[in-house]
Amino acid sequence: MAHATITLIDPELGEQQVSATASATSVFVSPDVIASATGWFLKPEGLCRGEVCVPVRDGALVDETGDLDVERFAAALGLPAVLDIEEGVLSIGETADARADVIATGIAPDFELPTLDGTPFRFSSIGRKKKVLVAWASW
Amino acid sequence: MVSVAFDDSVDAAREWFDAADPHPNYPVLLDREHLLGELYGIVNVPTVIWIDEDDRIVRPCVIVPGDDLFKDFTGIDSTVHHNQLRAWVRDGVLPPQSEREHAVVPTPEEQLARVERRVGAHLARAGRTDAAEQHFARAAELAPMNWTIRRGSLPLRGEDPFGMPFFEFYGEWEAAGSPGYGSADPNSAR
Repeated sequence: MAHATITLIDPELGEQQVSATASATSVFVSPDVIASATGWFLKPEGLCRGEVCVPVRDGALVDETGDLDVERFAAALGLPAVLDIEEGVLSIGETADARADVIATGIAPDFELPTLDGTPFRFSSIGRKKKVLVAWASW
Repeated sequence: MVSVAFDDSVDAAREWFDAADPHPNYPVLLDREHLLGELYGIVNVPTVIWIDEDDRIVRPCVIVPGDDLFKDFTGIDSTVHHNQLRAWVRDGVLPPQSEREHAVVPTPEEQLARVERRVGAHLARAGRTDAAEQHFARAAELAPMNWTIRRGSLPLRGEDPFGMPFFEFYGEWEAAGSPGYGSADPNSAR
């Protein structure tokens, strides 16, 4: 296992450089990195987010230093994940079920994105008004 | 109103922003990672979502061109949405329930495709063209009917989003019955 820096891409946090240990077939990162990117925390009762805890049945999920195998982590929770070891890039997505749960509430999720001049804009800053979201693209 | 560009660079979006007449007096945001695709299930553009004072989505994703520039191609009359929007904003009148209750629920394949596209976009920006292409191709296999993935990736793949690869995709999409949410114009085929 060798120390490495990998790029973690998150739709909300953007691109971050995180330290990892890597072999030819797997990459381990600290539980803190996983928690900030996915909201899932490693606890004695398992992998937990909010009220939900999923018991860990995979003995190879955590290495001797306490770091998590990112692909085994994603597999344990059914999260879509892409690890390109050669390029040193990792991105972990959200399950279709979790997205469907949010959509089923009928409540518009808040978000923050930069304006074209780079200033962060938070959607909820509009406050109690009728809002129209328009998604477009140059293509 | 908040406008969000599913573009990879400020320059690509700014060309349209600068040309807009009247000039936008509302926030225009850049969404390189397609965060709103994740959060709202957006699969195509231009897409509009209506949200009320209590943050409830009263009209989920619907295809809405801003004008009739491409009306001959899309068959969508943009004035339908303009009139509906005025009725809602001024008088609180919503279109019929049947036009507002379509589900916008992603599949597991689509969720993985979004991650593949994200990795592809990062590698393309870094000049890792060959590595990027593998991820873009995988994303397209996983979500072959998603415009933000199929057409939206073309500029980063070095292809013309108005060229042959687009028309090939469009043919596939039409042959599959134009899947995805429809337009605000009930008389259009979309």
